[in-house]
Amino acid sequence: MATDTDSQQLDGFGRVSRTAGVAFRYLILAATLFGIVMLGALLVYVTAQAIQPFTADPGWHLTFFLTLVLPTAAVGRYIYRRNPAALGFGATAVGALLVSLMFAGGAAMVFIDILSPMTWFAYVLALAVSAVAVVGFERLDERLPFVARLVASGAVVALAFYFIPSILLSLPIAIIGWIIILLTLGGGVAALVALRVARGHGRRRGAFAGVAAFLGVGVIALVGPFAGIDPLPAAVLAAISFVPTASYAALTAVERPEKRVGLAFTGTVLGGAFLGAAVVDVLSFAGPDSWVDWGFFTNAHSGTAADAGLYPAIGGSILLMVAVAALSFPLGVGAAVYLEEYAPDNRFTRFIDVNISNLAGVPSVVYGILGLGVFVTYLGRPMGTVLVGGATLALLILPIVIISSREAIRSVPEETRQASYGMGATRWQTVKNVVLPRAFPGIMTGTILSLGRAIGETAPLIMIGAPNVVYDLPSEFTSSVSAMPLQVYAWASLFASEEFYQQAVPAGVVVLLVVLLSMNSVAIVLRNRYEG
Amino acid sequence: MSNNTPQSDTERTDDPTDDGMAIQTDVSESVDDSDAVPPSSTVVRSEGVSVWYDDDQALDDITLEIPENRVTAMIGPSGCGKSTFLRCINRMNDRIDAARVEGDLYLRGKNVYDADVDPVALRRRVGMVFQKPNPFPKSIYDNVAYGLEIQDVEGDYDDIVEQSLKRAALWDEVKDQLDSSGLDLSGGQQQRLCIARAIAPDPEVILMDEPASALDPVATSQIEDLIEELAEEYTVVIVTHNMQQAARISDKTAVFLTGGELVEFDDTQKIFENPESQRVEDYITGKFG
Repeated sequence: MATDTDSQQLDGFGRVSRTAGVAFRYLILAATLFGIVMLGALLVYVTAQAIQPFTADPGWHLTFFLTLVLPTAAVGRYIYRRNPAALGFGATAVGALLVSLMFAGGAAMVFIDILSPMTWFAYVLALAVSAVAVVGFERLDERLPFVARLVASGAVVALAFYFIPSILLSLPIAIIGWIIILLTLGGGVAALVALRVARGHGRRRGAFAGVAAFLGVGVIALVGPFAGIDPLPAAVLAAISFVPTASYAALTAVERPEKRVGLAFTGTVLGGAFLGAAVVDVLSFAGPDSWVDWGFFTNAHSGTAADAGLYPAIGGSILLMVAVAALSFPLGVGAAVYLEEYAPDNRFTRFIDVNISNLAGVPSVVYGILGLGVFVTYLGRPMGTVLVGGATLALLILPIVIISSREAIRSVPEETRQASYGMGATRWQTVKNVVLPRAFPGIMTGTILSLGRAIGETAPLIMIGAPNVVYDLPSEFTSSVSAMPLQVYAWASLFASEEFYQQAVPAGVVVLLVVLLSMNSVAIVLRNRYEG
Repeated sequence: MSNNTPQSDTERTDDPTDDGMAIQTDVSESVDDSDAVPPSSTVVRSEGVSVWYDDDQALDDITLEIPENRVTAMIGPSGCGKSTFLRCINRMNDRIDAARVEGDLYLRGKNVYDADVDPVALRRRVGMVFQKPNPFPKSIYDNVAYGLEIQDVEGDYDDIVEQSLKRAALWDEVKDQLDSSGLDLSGGQQQRLCIARAIAPDPEVILMDEPASALDPVATSQIEDLIEELAEEYTVVIVTHNMQQAARISDKTAVFLTGGELVEFDDTQKIFENPESQRVEDYITGKFG
């Protein structure tokens, strides 16, 4: 039989038709491209409207093309050929600087206009005292029963937060703002840098790096005024943006010598930008007459579109985010841990499972009505405050936080849990020592993405009666708040005029999108680094 | 029993059948006195243990005695219940909702399925090493110190970690990188790290569930040497489906066959040279399974 077949010559195998497959392939490709192209066109249109690139002098474009675009493309291409990972490192350094600069700007705004540095210092001190006390109780007195330790720690925390701020703030002393920032934020960053360096390079170098980071923040705060920045915002920018980015770049350059060449890309981009700015200044080429200018960030709403700004709305969005994160993170992660690690598998938990997924799909306007009904009507809170808005938005994203945290917890391998239980760990010890540390990056990714959703929501804020126009930054959690999307909505509806449509709305949309995309990029970087 | 005193002696009870009988049986059943395993007291004794997963029976009426400071191997084809039996000893089966255990299983004379036994406290006296190396995503030091920390063991952790790593034959390879992640090690090193982690709190028994099946031959032979050394100080129970491995390293061998049945349990040499049961002989000579 076998020899028979072998001896017969085949003239071919025939053909199998792929027409349907090819048609399907191009159909789905077209569908994919359609969505991306539409969205891209919209973004380009809005950005062009907001930035008005064609109002710039052609010389301005030429200068930046020669100093920034061309060298960046050339250097990037060269580095990519040598080592694509190095280019990734260089680009990440640029991105980290820009994104952290944006967040640092928000933080600086908080310290200048919302939270006085002295109040901040008082609460940081209270937090530090309670942390030391709690750790002390855990370490020193293992003979004490758990309940006694809990009560003692709770008492110290309550007393610290009750007395330290009131005593400190009533004292007739005032520490200069930027020194407080240097001590708190700068000290925190320095400690993080020191720990990170100590882990890979020994304690002495860690301490050295920590001191260097601390001094770096101090020096930048002192040098700031020469560059036109007050010491307080300079210290905030240094502590949140410059020093962490520089530490990241330096650490990677030391630990991964093969990626070092990527720094050339970072240098080209930054150097090109500064050089271009200097050349443009010297040759007095006019830049684009952008609507997203400094005034747009620092002004409140105004009747004329050219003067209208987003400042109170940015502050409101920041405060709302703080409230949403503080409310939804502990609740959401707690619920996720319970459902994944503790809950028995029965009809009730399956019922809850299904309903959490359903809640994630409920329209946001419904959550607005819920917030209005529960917090305003039933609990009698005033309308449109940071607290009510934050609580409503927290309800809105709670199901998403729960679902994404559960995904992260579920992705912790069962073998790791087995190892812990096999060592004689209790469920709580396993959750605390093994599951949560491993799931943390995933939990953070999900939380940041859902915070991004919360910051872009308009409907719930309208429902709970947030005012359309706020001229001052909210100073506490019970003051009225506006938010970026709400302000844009107000410009597009209440103040609808050709002027506002052409200028303020696109500028607001661009700012909102940049904030959202930066938050998402942070989440994506987190996910790639820890889950890839 | 308190969670904080893993080394306490509360589990020693006055069970009359604890030690003596086991030695009697062992010795009388050995073929040749010179090759027989020297007498040793029983650490784990199972009497009529049966396990069901929902309605499927995984183990059928297992009765055997595991001697102290010996390597006891459990062999048999896939699905014969040998791993299930191992997990009965430290009650890891409790974590599976569908599993149901019947019968009595004594650790040093105390029935671990008694109502007053806390399974978490039990697991603190029984170390376990799993099939796939599963170090925690922590530093090498923290991996080994994990059991000490959760059990609140008193003592110099640096010293205990060093001793455990030395006993697991890993110290020389990792002494300069105790702060680096346990996941950066090779597979064989990870498994030795897991062994170091299991012995650090000084357990009574070490259970190993196919500890070398995911490793290459060199790493496997390192693990085998290590197990033989550990048996000088610990009672080791090892599940394997590698018969040569069982023959090389174990003192006693239990042969499980399909249906969760313990067909033969005797000195390893006797099982491999002169088994009583025809089915065991068929299995060992490779006629099935």
